[in-house]
Amino acid sequence: METLYNIFIDPFVQMFGAPDFLMQVLWEGFVSGTLYALIALGFVLIFKASGVFNFAQGIMVVFAALTLVGLYSLGMPAYVALVLTIGVMGLLAVSVERLVMRKLVNQPDIILFMATIGLTYFLIGLGEFIFGGEPKKMIADELGLPGGSMDFEVFGGVLILENRDIAAAVIAAVLVAALWFFFSKTRIGRALRAVADDHQAALSVGISLNQIWAIVWFAAGIVALATGILWGAKSEVSFALQVVALKALPVLILGGFTSIPGAIVGGMIIGLGEKLFEIYWGGLMGGGVESWFAYVIALIFLLFRPQGLFGEKIIERI
Amino acid sequence: MSQEIKPGEVLLELEDVSLSFGGVRAIKNVGFNIKRGEIRAIIGPNGAGKTSMLNVINGFYHPQEGTITYKGVHRKNMRPYVAATQGIARTFQNVALFKGMSTLDNIMSGRTLKMHRNFLWQMLYYGPARREEMQHRERVEHVIDFLEIAHIRRTPVGRLPYGLQKRVELARALAMEPELLLLDEPMAGMNLEEKEDMSRYILEVNDEFGMTIALIEHDISVVMDLSDRIVVLDHGEKIADGTPAEVSADQDVIDAYLGVAH
Ligand SMILES: Nc1ncnc2c1ncn2[C@@H]1O[C@H](COP(=O)(O)OP(=O)(O)OP(=O)(O)O)[C@@H](O)[C@H]1O
Ligand SMILES: [Mg+2]
Repeated sequence: METLYNIFIDPFVQMFGAPDFLMQVLWEGFVSGTLYALIALGFVLIFKASGVFNFAQGIMVVFAALTLVGLYSLGMPAYVALVLTIGVMGLLAVSVERLVMRKLVNQPDIILFMATIGLTYFLIGLGEFIFGGEPKKMIADELGLPGGSMDFEVFGGVLILENRDIAAAVIAAVLVAALWFFFSKTRIGRALRAVADDHQAALSVGISLNQIWAIVWFAAGIVALATGILWGAKSEVSFALQVVALKALPVLILGGFTSIPGAIVGGMIIGLGEKLFEIYWGGLMGGGVESWFAYVIALIFLLFRPQGLFGEKIIERI
Repeated sequence: MSQEIKPGEVLLELEDVSLSFGGVRAIKNVGFNIKRGEIRAIIGPNGAGKTSMLNVINGFYHPQEGTITYKGVHRKNMRPYVAATQGIARTFQNVALFKGMSTLDNIMSGRTLKMHRNFLWQMLYYGPARREEMQHRERVEHVIDFLEIAHIRRTPVGRLPYGLQKRVELARALAMEPELLLLDEPMAGMNLEEKEDMSRYILEVNDEFGMTIALIEHDISVVMDLSDRIVVLDHGEKIADGTPAEVSADQDVIDAYLGVAH
């Protein structure tokens, strides 16, 4: 009886007993959620266009952040470094398309997946060679990311929003919205969906697979850079950062590998879910819930709805 | 550079084309031409190599031997992108539509190469890119009216019955305003009425716009009615080439093809 009470009743009593704190928890979940959605989007774009699960997305986050910090340390203004880093991600996209995708077109998906693993180790090597292995500090202040926090009176309590979290959520949300708009409303977006639906038919109307691939890799690079900055500002820039990309996997399983809205909703569910669960149910399980909650949810989904909430087909490609 | 080809002149010439997949020889030293403005049928029993031939023409398959001369340019093989930019459009034997998209979006995708606003403009979307989209919409609406599919404009094509899917596929190809249209069994699986409609569209496209058409079709009566010249393949070899009258009188064709039940 008491266990049942602790699981099913008590958490809700707590939630509604202290709504100001609940708001705080939801806010923090929302911030992580936007970032998860952003990372997942990077995967979805490449998966849609080429059926490839891009194992290198995580290291691209690190590589982008290292490049930014590295360029800044050469003495140039932060915004110049940012623009140059975007350029580097563009160069990376074009190189990957030319040297990997183009050579491996028509190979089984598993070969392409292996190629992205190869790319991962290449980028780790290149990153360590150029920037060294020691952790660095993200140039968050220099880029104008605000510090400090804002307090709001809610439900007779205080809701504290870190300005940096607000900035992160806004940037992630704007980027997600921009990508969604770009890929669902514009001609390039139509071409991307065409490629996703039928390669041969897309080729027959003159859609250039090479161009589409370069564009999605570039978009994934931008996403990686944003993730690197926002996440790097929370901790530090090191190769350990690539594990944040792992969080995208449960998000993708929830949202479906091919769905942009799925990535957004999936990110929110995981972000909000894991925070709520950690705070209100975590005590029952001895804490540390955040590290595994997402994967358990994903597992449950795999059992009951393997195509995800919005996915078009069963994922059989990885 | 490609040269201007007048009606009645050779638009596409295939010479001595051979194509094999591992041990399977799909096409054996086949040569024929397609003249501007004609309806050219390619017929033959199942597995004769007809579809493979179209795939060679639009660059999906690269033949081991032979050459392709299109609009006066001599090539070892085509590439799909080049074929599309050079005005070759096609439909597929097993309808290849973008299933998740509406009829309209499918047909709009046929305008890909006609749109010029670049990447950056599209990111901004509004302004010129938007205006360009509108202009192309207009052209697409003409095609939609012509093929009488206005009522399914917004329907995701995956939900359409097969006959209509085939029509949308034709619409997408026509939206490209091609010079050479390759049709792979456009009437397969259709009822009589649908076949008559499709025949009418093909004839009109050919008559009114002077579009050159290569047509693969199993229904012999349709082929005889529509085509100006027919090339007959069997087991990857060309066994006859001529007008419908010549071909239907050919003993090899009667033996190899017309004798075979379908
Ligand atoms: N991609 C491929 N890989 C291997 N073999 C192929 C491939 N495409 C075609 N073939 C083989 O080439 C031969 C010719 O096939 P093709 O599809 O061109 O025939 P078809 O004349 O279009 O027949 P149908 O009337 O059945 O459509 C067949 O033996 C087929 O199995
Ligand atoms: Mg065929």
